[in-house]
Amino acid sequence: MQVERRTLLRKLVCSLRGRMRMKTVTIKQLLSFSVLAFVVSILPAKSYAELPVPAHITPPVGEHESPVVPQPIEFPHDRHVKDMKINCMYCHTYARRSKVAGIPPTSKCMGCHKVIATDKPRIQKLTEYWEKGESPKWLKVHDVPDYVHFTHEKHIRKFVFDAKFPVEDVQQVCGLCHGEVQGMTVAEKKKPLNMGFCQRCHEANGGPGDCWACHK
Amino acid sequence: MSVKVNRRKFLKMLGWGGAGTALTGCDLPTTVTLEEGKEEVVSYLMPEEYAIPGIGVWYASTCTQCEAGCGLHGRVREGRVLKVEGNPDSPVNHGKSCMMGQSTVQAHYNPDRITSPMMRKGSTLQAVSWDEAMSALTSKIGPDSGVKGDRVGMVTGTVSGHQAVIIDELLAQVGSKNHYVHEVINTSVWSSVCRDMLGDEMPKLNFDKAGVILSFGADFLGTWISPVHNMGEYAKFRKGARGSLIQVEPKMTLTGGNADLWVPAKPGTEGALALGIANFILERGWNAVDVPSSVGKSLSQYTLTAVEKVTGVPVSKIKRIASMLTERGPSLVIAGASTENHENGYDAVASVMLLNLVMGNIGKTIEASAKFPEKALRAKQGNTKDLLLLAKALKDNKLDVLFTYNTNPAFTAPAVLQVSESLSGVGFKVAFSMFPDETTLQADLVLPIHSGMEDWGTHVPAYQPDTSSVLSLQQPLMEPIHKETRGFGDIMLSLLKLRNKDFGKFADYYSYLQTAVANMPADVTSNVEGASKDIWTNMLQKGIVKAKVSTNDLSPKLVDMKFKVKQDNSGYPMHLVPSARLGLWDGRHANIPWLQEFPDQIAKVVWGSWAELHPKKAAELGVKNGDYVRVTSASGSIETQVYIHKGIHPDAVSVPLGQGHDEFGRYAKGRGVNPLKILNPLMERRTGELATHATRVKVTNAHRHEKLVHLGGSESQVGRKFVKTISVDQLRRTEGEA
Repeated sequence: MQVERRTLLRKLVCSLRGRMRMKTVTIKQLLSFSVLAFVVSILPAKSYAELPVPAHITPPVGEHESPVVPQPIEFPHDRHVKDMKINCMYCHTYARRSKVAGIPPTSKCMGCHKVIATDKPRIQKLTEYWEKGESPKWLKVHDVPDYVHFTHEKHIRKFVFDAKFPVEDVQQVCGLCHGEVQGMTVAEKKKPLNMGFCQRCHEANGGPGDCWACHK
Repeated sequence: MSVKVNRRKFLKMLGWGGAGTALTGCDLPTTVTLEEGKEEVVSYLMPEEYAIPGIGVWYASTCTQCEAGCGLHGRVREGRVLKVEGNPDSPVNHGKSCMMGQSTVQAHYNPDRITSPMMRKGSTLQAVSWDEAMSALTSKIGPDSGVKGDRVGMVTGTVSGHQAVIIDELLAQVGSKNHYVHEVINTSVWSSVCRDMLGDEMPKLNFDKAGVILSFGADFLGTWISPVHNMGEYAKFRKGARGSLIQVEPKMTLTGGNADLWVPAKPGTEGALALGIANFILERGWNAVDVPSSVGKSLSQYTLTAVEKVTGVPVSKIKRIASMLTERGPSLVIAGASTENHENGYDAVASVMLLNLVMGNIGKTIEASAKFPEKALRAKQGNTKDLLLLAKALKDNKLDVLFTYNTNPAFTAPAVLQVSESLSGVGFKVAFSMFPDETTLQADLVLPIHSGMEDWGTHVPAYQPDTSSVLSLQQPLMEPIHKETRGFGDIMLSLLKLRNKDFGKFADYYSYLQTAVANMPADVTSNVEGASKDIWTNMLQKGIVKAKVSTNDLSPKLVDMKFKVKQDNSGYPMHLVPSARLGLWDGRHANIPWLQEFPDQIAKVVWGSWAELHPKKAAELGVKNGDYVRVTSASGSIETQVYIHKGIHPDAVSVPLGQGHDEFGRYAKGRGVNPLKILNPLMERRTGELATHATRVKVTNAHRHEKLVHLGGSESQVGRKFVKTISVDQLRRTEGEA
């Protein structure tokens, strides 16, 4: 199994710091750390295969790193997307109809998980919520400022439905802004979603360049 | 600490700021208003099919911000109401709404809402449970309480529909007849005259059919009867063959500002002007309808010169008004607050109506209204006579239990009536209230009620503008924000159940309304649009239901008039005009920041009070904009800043209503002054209404100055010609080709 470069580096540095604090670090150890660090640093940057970019889209350019947002349930996107091949819009059903993609209603989760994987702790936690008549309080991961009017519906219409792009591959389109969720458990912000990011994509794909299109 | 920023510095900062933004580019991470990892997103547990996050659903309801009863559409998204607009199906407002309607969301989401029942324990109000509150209420008003019916009172604002029915029912159950219906901004005198002279309290006015409107102080675009409806009709009146508007009033209102001819008659003499115009028209034989010779004879004393002497309006202007009425007709003559609310108000309005009779307007621009078929549902219109009656009952210690709902007499009553002081003599005061206003905080039991957007109700507008009569449904636009508020109807229903077991079958006010609506008379229920739908479904969808009614023609008759002008000013040379405006209204909206922020339509002042003075009077007193003056009547005095404006009679000082709250939440409390407090207890002679515009005052310089906070800052263009103007003479000579 491949280990993600960033995680490994972090572990290495932490252990080095610990040893230095204890003043037991020797030149030899330091050297071996350096070598290890070098080896890790040349590991491939992505631990999972990148999705193909749909031919009709020039992808927006920009990367983003931010700490993983802790969620009430560690929802495994990887399990649902990669292993089960569930379409993004099966759960985020509002994306094609509304400005927000929406968190799936708890009843939708329970539709499957009344019978599937009921022995798993995460599912048991979900079932607890359901029985209490509550929805988990997820924390927002992707957000744009209040003065930006972003709408999922228009983007899905343009890049999927109008372009006659196969809906079963919609993840390739979603991933342009949301990263490759098939490799994540809970969603992580992998793209900057700032004005430069949006603007470059609008220029490359013929989106509106008018300020008023987004700022209203 | 204060940082002085002048215009130059501001522009400099703006320049550097702009350059900075451009240099940093668009790729920096945004730090503003991002809520990543902070804000919770909670999904639906089980979504309704039609509920899509991010997409608004519009529901029909009724606006409760004033008494006009405009239909509303509220946009609801993710279970919250975000925006309201007018309901296009409502004949009252035809899809339009005013600033008070728009700001209804700020009343609803107001941070000063009362969130739990409160009971007086010792000298303070303390939060209690609903069980405790209701058992206290039962012990004081229930069947075993031994309460005497005639010692129970209820004071409300204008009520109509099924709310009025259940109030009546409760008072009937306890055996009380003391329902005080109080509104400061009202048209009681107008209604009395219309009832006596036309046989219809609220006749339908056809602004759109008029070629000229002569309004004696009726601010119909701002505060008179049904402002949003009037605005629509006014637009039609001005379109095409543009109608002319003449406004006679001591202080320029929003309507006065729109008039072609603005006439400041001496306050209290408007009736004389109307009679003078009528006399001149009769003399010239311009009248469309003949009047009995006795009337002509009594009018003959109102010669042009006599009228000029009384009213201060020049003969030439009186002639001009008379000829405009005749030449540009059909005409419509109306009267509002500054004419009604004098001691001679009734006679003045009757003179105005006489002018309508003479010009043959009855049946043309003034028609019979479509009264709602079920009488019990019709509006009980608020007035100030009931305020005087309430003040008297309180003073004579005639009440043991007093309910207050939708009104704030402790704020609106003149100080001399001592309403606030004598309230403490009432053993048990119950306030149905959303906000901690002056009256509510004096109560012994405070019952927090739902906002207009959380509650059920039906409203029958007092002014029916269509040929069929309308009932407007108020349905909740969202779940109550606060767990501990209850609907007014629900609380009333639980009180009704104490004595009458028949009400036990209704689980809540909603089910009561449903049954009551279904049982309305056949002339209402049979006129449902869309034959397949029942009346309730139709009301939920459309927000209104129309009832076909037949109206008779108006039968005008003359009333005995003894128009007199009071000449007494013993040491008080000025007239106080407590002016009302669309916005803060009578003060009930002073806790809405949007409306506080909204500049007055004439003075452009925000967030405060002011005294409007004529430039001549200001020069006499030696005051300039922002200086404080003391306005003193025989009943008290207030101190506020001066705003100098030509749109006021030189002998009048106008202080707007709305401010001067001692309580009423963070946005209203301790802001400005309340002119109602210094009114003398004068009554309109015929109707017993409080003569709010009859108080004489003196104005003195308080020798204090603060910058007056108002929009615009300057009354002139200082010769810079931002707006190019051309004199009428020049326009006539050159046809605009200057």
